[in-house]
Amino acid sequence: MKTELLIIGAGAAGIAAATAAWDAGCRDIVLADRRERPGGILPQCLHEGFGHAQYGRELTGPEYAQQIAQKLNQTGVRLVLGTEVLAVYGNKSAVLSDRSGLTQLHFERLILASGCREKSIGSLPVVGTRPAGIFTAGQAQEMINLHGQDLGKEILILGSGDLGFIMARQFAQSGKHVIALVEKEAHYGGMARNYHRCVEPYKIPILYHTTVAEIHGSGRITGVTLRHLDGGGEEEIPCDTLITALGLLPERDLVRGLGEPEWLFFAGNCHRVHDLVDSAVSEAERIGRAAAE
Amino acid sequence: MQSFDVVVIGGGLLGCFAARNLSRWDLHIALIEAREDVCTGISRANTAIVYPGYDHRPGTLKAKMTVRANGSFDSLCRELDVPFCRCGSLMVSYGEQADAVLRKKYENGLSMGVSELRLLRGEEAVKMEPCLAPGVTSALYAPTAGTVNPWELGIAACENAVANGIALCLNTRVFAISHTTDSYRIETNRDVFSARAVINCAGLYADRVQELVFPTSVHIVPDGADYLVLDKAAANLPTHIIQYEPEDGGKGFNAVPTVEGSLLLGPSERDNETDFAVSEKGISFVYGRAGRILPGLDLNEVIRSFAAVRPNPRREDGSSIGSFVIENPAPGFWSLIGIKTPGLTCANELGSYVAERAAEQLAAERNESFDPCRKGIKKVRGIPLERRNAAIQADPNFGEVICCCEDVTKAEVLDAIRRGATTLDGVKRRTGTGMGRCQGSRCQQKLITLLAQELGISEEEVTKDGKGSEILGGGRDEN
Ligand SMILES: Cc1cc2nc3c(=O)[nH]c(=O)nc-3n(C[C@H](O)[C@H](O)[C@H](O)COP(=O)(O)OP(=O)(O)OC[C@H]3O[C@@H](n4cnc5c(N)ncnc54)[C@H](O)[C@@H]3O)c2cc1C
Ligand SMILES: Cc1cc2nc3c(=O)[nH]c(=O)nc-3n(C[C@H](O)[C@H](O)[C@H](O)COP(=O)(O)OP(=O)(O)OC[C@H]3O[C@@H](n4cnc5c(N)ncnc54)[C@H](O)[C@@H]3O)c2cc1C
Repeated sequence: MKTELLIIGAGAAGIAAATAAWDAGCRDIVLADRRERPGGILPQCLHEGFGHAQYGRELTGPEYAQQIAQKLNQTGVRLVLGTEVLAVYGNKSAVLSDRSGLTQLHFERLILASGCREKSIGSLPVVGTRPAGIFTAGQAQEMINLHGQDLGKEILILGSGDLGFIMARQFAQSGKHVIALVEKEAHYGGMARNYHRCVEPYKIPILYHTTVAEIHGSGRITGVTLRHLDGGGEEEIPCDTLITALGLLPERDLVRGLGEPEWLFFAGNCHRVHDLVDSAVSEAERIGRAAAE
Repeated sequence: MQSFDVVVIGGGLLGCFAARNLSRWDLHIALIEAREDVCTGISRANTAIVYPGYDHRPGTLKAKMTVRANGSFDSLCRELDVPFCRCGSLMVSYGEQADAVLRKKYENGLSMGVSELRLLRGEEAVKMEPCLAPGVTSALYAPTAGTVNPWELGIAACENAVANGIALCLNTRVFAISHTTDSYRIETNRDVFSARAVINCAGLYADRVQELVFPTSVHIVPDGADYLVLDKAAANLPTHIIQYEPEDGGKGFNAVPTVEGSLLLGPSERDNETDFAVSEKGISFVYGRAGRILPGLDLNEVIRSFAAVRPNPRREDGSSIGSFVIENPAPGFWSLIGIKTPGLTCANELGSYVAERAAEQLAAERNESFDPCRKGIKKVRGIPLERRNAAIQADPNFGEVICCCEDVTKAEVLDAIRRGATTLDGVKRRTGTGMGRCQGSRCQQKLITLLAQELGISEEEVTKDGKGSEILGGGRDEN
């Protein structure tokens, strides 16, 4: 099979790039995503705070996703969901897998809009056991908001980025006890706006210059040892759930080793991590137009 | 009460292979394992090397078994349909003392018939593995060394044993054994078993299990070890097993390119800490050694650290024992006590050794219908695209990727559950889900759903590795 433009990832960036490329005159576009619905991470972000720059008001993630999906629907972009892109080759082809089979798709240009992945605790030199009850923030958000799961009651959050903030508020609002956010630096990592909205009102402490040194518990996590890096020693804190918000890494594995061919473009969080969807989208629109030419 | 000819206690590598080899005989056999799955003990965490055999004292059982086991590892893995990579090993030295150790090992290996062994100059070794730190003075190259996934091998042996008629009893812990003239009575939390013979493969607890009924002069004094796993996509990964022989005679160090493609680094040394918890001292040792021997590795690409426990066998006076300990305190009772490295390499040999003795004692006939072959879970990662497409046409579940880091499909997960995986770790050990760089954060929910569906339980009851490790609800014990 052939297409002029293949876009991998139907999150905010992929959708925006596809729509912009169509509007710029490209009439043969395939937009593929492994998920069953478009929007990438947006459907799981039930909080308000999306699209202020574009719409002048703050939408929830699903509302924002609906807005951009509506525009996409007015184009002739072929959206293929439930489809994993397995590989991209230097001869300008990609292999797509879904329940009906494999498709080898030849393209003229490719936009990678595959988002990012979360750094996992395995990458840190944290000692102790490896019990159940440790989730990344994005994973927790997806499990709670899209699958209605209850993860735990006594929550400790490692990392004070936006994702950590948003999950702290969500746990607090649903009646869980958020023990603290633990941050190794002297200042929190997320946006001030999110700090004032998510952390302050719920009086959730942020422990600065502190890290999780050790994990306890053999079946389910029962607690951690916190280490105060400014010489304040160590303390054990009981918890039944540890949320890790350690940062996002652009997801570019599909094109690892391909170099920088002129037919390859990056958009959204796989290009660089965007704090705001508006910035991911405006960048993606630019890239969509460039790829359409 | 259930009656068997032979009861094997412990479903680690050794128990699984003892059961497999016993099933070559016309015997009624049970394999009893305390945990929810096989290969969750020592066998789940080790260095994964199939040793060539030059390390051991010539003439010992350990030396003979290792060389023989290595020679037949390809055919064993073909029979059991388990990936085995004979990538070869380079043991490297950085100075005269270590050079001498390597020479001695070389001569040792030659005298035992380890094939293709070569002593290389430093430059030759660096040419073969440019990622080695400069200054290598010599290297012992063993092309026959290889690597296998230990739990994959153990699970395969267990499946093969079950297919040949043994009874697998999980969640069954032995707490008492008594001996009458011609039989053993084995009490567990579930049932009482009677057997004409017992093979004790209880790993870390093998000394204590024997002591339930007979004294033992060997005691297990465990110590811990730590490992790091580096992402398969990291740069400058070696293609051979790298073994570092330190100049000061201290603890060696391994870097093993695993069959999954990741790089295993370790083990560390540690004192006093004996559980499966990663230790601070140990992990910094591994970081330090890895950085020194393979300076090109980006240690930010570490995706996991884990701990192992060594079952060191000691005599009454505290002295350590170098050989394999196989005790036979009374007719019909065998114990494998404190089998550490190279117990993975020799698992089938050890299993066959005890099986033959038990069969002889029980005057058993051959099991004419024994089939040594087992078919593994059909995996689509890395296979030619036409075959992958054909697999999807036959079963659409092969088209649905569940774990995107390791490229594991729904069909593989379902097969794993049908074969006996009941936990997230059980699926992971059988298919590789969650072993990649995101460490399961993207596939865990899907796996919970599939496990609950297939096992007919609620999602809240799904565990990581058995009761008490529920994923949801903050652990169920507190509810
Ligand atoms: C928790 C959270 C809260 C946020 N809150 C706000 C906020 O309040 N306000 C705001 O403005 N911004 C917010 N942002 C930032 C903004 O929403 C994101 O930067 C933006 O949505 C990223 O879009 P994306 O398309 O780059 O990535 P994603 O949404 O991650 O989309 C990438 C898509 O690619 C797919 N994909 C990847 N690889 C493959 C493959 N091989 N085959 C098939 N499909 C593949 C994935 O399934 C995914 O759907 C938040 C971000 C997060 C994570
Ligand atoms: C750090 C380390 C590195 C190693 N590296 C290598 C290597 O590179 N190459 C190599 O060849 N070998 C290696 N080995 C050796 C190899 O891993 C072991 O020899 C092998 O795994 C031992 O398996 P096992 O069956 O004896 O023990 P286990 O896997 O621990 O199995 C014992 C089982 O018995 C069960 N059990 C215990 N008590 C009871 C009871 N009362 N009732 C019922 N069940 C019970 C336990 O639950 C457990 O599942 C290494 C070992 C260690 C520790």
